[in-house]
Amino acid sequence: MQPAAFIPVFAQASPWMFGWLAAAAAPILIHLWSRQKYREMSWAAMEYLLAAVRRSRRRVRLEQWLLLAIRTLLIILVVLAVVQSLLQHVGFTPTTSGRTHRVLVVDASYSMGYKPEEKSRFDQARQLARQIVEGGRQGDACTLVVMASPPRVVVGKPALDADELLEEIDQLRLGHTSANLPATVELVGQVVQAARREDSHLDRHEVYFLTDLGRIGWRPLLDGPAAAAFQKRSRDLAQAAALMVIDVGQPAAENIAVTDLRSLDPLPTPGRRIGLEATLENFGRQPQTGQTVELLVDGRSVDQQRVELQPGGRASVSFLCRFDMPGDHAVEVRAAGDALDVDNHRWMAAPVRRSIRVLCIDGRPSGEPFRGATDWLVYALNPQDRRDEQAPIGAEAAPESALLERDLGRYDCVFLCSVAQFTAHEAAVLRGYLDHGGNLVLFLGEGVLADRYNRELGDGAGQGLLLPARLGPTVDASPGRLDPLGYRHPIVEPFRGREQAGLLTTPVEKYCKLHVPDGSKAQVVLATAAGDPLVVEHTAGRGRVVLVATSADTSWTLMPVWPSFVPVVQELLAYCVGGAFQQRNVEVGQPLETSIVTPAADVAATLRAPGEASRQVPLRTDGDYATFHYDETVASGIYTAEFGPPIDQQRRFAANVDTVESDLTQLSEDQLRHEVWPGVAFQHRTSWQSADGGMTAPILRPPRLHLDLLYLALAMLFMETFLAWRFGHHTT
Amino acid sequence: MESSQKYLDPKILARLEGLRLRARRVVEGYVSGVHRSPYHGFSIEFAEHREYAPGDDLRYLDWKVFGRTDRYYLKQFEEETNLICYLVLDTSESMRYRSSAAAMSKLEYAQCTAAALAYLVLQQQDSVGLVTFDQEIRALVRPASSPSHIQQLIHVMDESAPERKTDSGAIFHDLAERFKKRGIVVILSDLFDDVAKMMTGLKHFRHRRHDVILLHVLDPAELDFPFRQITMFKGLEQLPEVVVDPRALRRAYLKEFGAYVHRLQQGCRMQQIDYSQVRTDQSLEVVLSTCLAPRM
Repeated sequence: MQPAAFIPVFAQASPWMFGWLAAAAAPILIHLWSRQKYREMSWAAMEYLLAAVRRSRRRVRLEQWLLLAIRTLLIILVVLAVVQSLLQHVGFTPTTSGRTHRVLVVDASYSMGYKPEEKSRFDQARQLARQIVEGGRQGDACTLVVMASPPRVVVGKPALDADELLEEIDQLRLGHTSANLPATVELVGQVVQAARREDSHLDRHEVYFLTDLGRIGWRPLLDGPAAAAFQKRSRDLAQAAALMVIDVGQPAAENIAVTDLRSLDPLPTPGRRIGLEATLENFGRQPQTGQTVELLVDGRSVDQQRVELQPGGRASVSFLCRFDMPGDHAVEVRAAGDALDVDNHRWMAAPVRRSIRVLCIDGRPSGEPFRGATDWLVYALNPQDRRDEQAPIGAEAAPESALLERDLGRYDCVFLCSVAQFTAHEAAVLRGYLDHGGNLVLFLGEGVLADRYNRELGDGAGQGLLLPARLGPTVDASPGRLDPLGYRHPIVEPFRGREQAGLLTTPVEKYCKLHVPDGSKAQVVLATAAGDPLVVEHTAGRGRVVLVATSADTSWTLMPVWPSFVPVVQELLAYCVGGAFQQRNVEVGQPLETSIVTPAADVAATLRAPGEASRQVPLRTDGDYATFHYDETVASGIYTAEFGPPIDQQRRFAANVDTVESDLTQLSEDQLRHEVWPGVAFQHRTSWQSADGGMTAPILRPPRLHLDLLYLALAMLFMETFLAWRFGHHTT
Repeated sequence: MESSQKYLDPKILARLEGLRLRARRVVEGYVSGVHRSPYHGFSIEFAEHREYAPGDDLRYLDWKVFGRTDRYYLKQFEEETNLICYLVLDTSESMRYRSSAAAMSKLEYAQCTAAALAYLVLQQQDSVGLVTFDQEIRALVRPASSPSHIQQLIHVMDESAPERKTDSGAIFHDLAERFKKRGIVVILSDLFDDVAKMMTGLKHFRHRRHDVILLHVLDPAELDFPFRQITMFKGLEQLPEVVVDPRALRRAYLKEFGAYVHRLQQGCRMQQIDYSQVRTDQSLEVVLSTCLAPRM
């Protein structure tokens, strides 16, 4: 270690600390003083003493200089260890010699886009990252990690070329996700460990978190083993590298955000007005009066309203909207601009269908009206009995053979009524239909073979559960009202407060006892008076499956003739088809998926992402289906996928930000130290900008450097003792 | 304290009472039947009778016993002979040195040793002489055997003042010429002089067939060099002064000093000179015992 290398840094840090280094002159002064202070003695054997002096003059001088140098260095090391410890205590970290590996963790969560002045937080973080790279010395290396959800490594191998790294920093783009501290710590730990493993020439490792310390991203809601694992990873990282958190945020940041946008009608059709509801939230401390909220459809402004927002409050804004043409439409709600633009928008992809196509498979067909298993169902789906193509719901009944004869991919939902059993082939067709976004509603009834259901559609087939519950024996219902289970499920939620609709009084005489497996994600929608599940649903593949334990005809229940039947069936269909609506509207970071039915195997797909040029996306072909999958939704906005030739279809997706990041409340250093990283050594800086407007490159030393210095001083002490003994300076 | 008491500590001398000074080699001949003593009749004391055997000297027949017993008996005498012991005492300035570890200076210690030896020699009616020297002979007391001779020796030693340099080699040559009668030459000195010259002088003693005992008187500090503080060493005998860190030089000094002692011992061994190193912190009894034991 070269003491001279410390001097400029200490001089910059604090001149009075530099003064302590003058103590290193003590051995020299003592040496000079002792040369002046000696005792006198007459000596008889002078001849031999003089001979010894002549013979040893050069050696003695060399030994004295060596001991003097070691003693001086010893004092320097002790002083530096003490001063370094003090500096670290007060938050200053001087530089040292040796090669340093710096991991730059740039927070790219969208709250970093907050731009109160000329530069956004993200711009400042990038500028700081640049200066850290430029402030490095010859031989230093850097890696670059983006803190987002999920985090990603931009430069994983320690890069010695500063220009290359600066270019990567310049190319960093603000993400539209939130920060994920646990995943980032894990990823950074892997980067540091890889660098320690693969590049032994790097003496130190330093991790710089350039972040706004958003409370949401930096205070992970973990418990149990996950929390323990996070703490362990953090401590391991702090032991492997010096951590510094540089806060580029502002403590009192105002922000409003559009936190929700939803359609009140899950099955929009052309020409029909539907309701849209947007929710705005004020995350700041100042009231926002007369806040303008604008509705845009396919890029055209169609409505505008004003809203009042109290500090910490939220408000809903309702719009009426009509889509004239079928197809996928892009809906946007835009609030007036503030310093954080990303969350001032919320998009929705609205697939407007000319008609919802439903296939009803009748397992017990009858020639007489309303005697078959699906007659009441078809009526309930199309109460107006419209036969034209403009009918909002086009329901058609078909026998069981249609399962194999028809192309199920052309139907939005398939109702299976009183089908006695399924063959393995039929079950495979149904699974394929669900995997590509289809939906199933199963009504049981007379002749249903529960064992065959369980074997082909349940876990007996070994191909994953298609049924949300296992079928048991048929039981007679005990008299009593149905249990809506608190109207929690969306299917029955519209009946809340509308008991006259007759849902609860629906007479069910017989039903099949259903058993929901333990640990299943299936949800019980409605239960019998005895508490047995009557309607159970779950997600299978990319579709939804609803199992009704009773029949769709009047053999087991009078439900088809009950006033609640039509709305129940309508809600069942809306819920199932609404799943596809939800798949079109995702959060940033979630994948976009859809399937199209095409006879051609080589269909091309082109995607236009927000702010980006079109790009080709390969499709995965499976029979008549071609599956589109895209998982790089890094920006919020409308994604448009175009399929063809040979077909010509367009599907739109909306990706929105998770607005938890819109809360710009910062985590304080105290909270960080005690709530997030208790026992983890790190440094926190807020005054990253120096008085002259430039940034002082905050070079870290490992927290234990003062210990290293003390160990070195101890080694010097031993060396001094040994050499003094070896040179004859020891006392005998 | 009187000088005699100072040099002749009765306690020390009482312990030495049983010692008998013996020449290791023949000084005046001592083996009966091989040599004849030139000093027969003098200082020969009767011991016992022995029956005559052919070849015995008829002069020692005891005719009175023959007359009474009609048998031949010879008179047996103590196998003693006259001995001359020359005490050669170095009184140069270097002998003045005394470290804190020693109770006496080298000169004082050498004076004690010389006085004790003189006393012992006189106790057995032998002759002892004394020479003090530095770069020249300062005093020379001829050998005598009278008991009162000790007073003169002590007086001469008292008068010696260590102020000058030494020149042992030349002195030894001079003394070898002056000591006409063969005897034991006991040299008490720190021998801080040119070894080659000294050895030449000592060789001269041996050439004159003297039995030479070299008592190399050294201060413990000169042997151990135990100093720690930076010290200005002022050379005695007109040698220069030097300021050194003793700890740094200790090894080198001991090496130099050891080489010097080694040369001295080697020279003595070649000349069949008894060399004994005497530390001034040693008991005088030990020194005398070490010196005289081979001659008992």
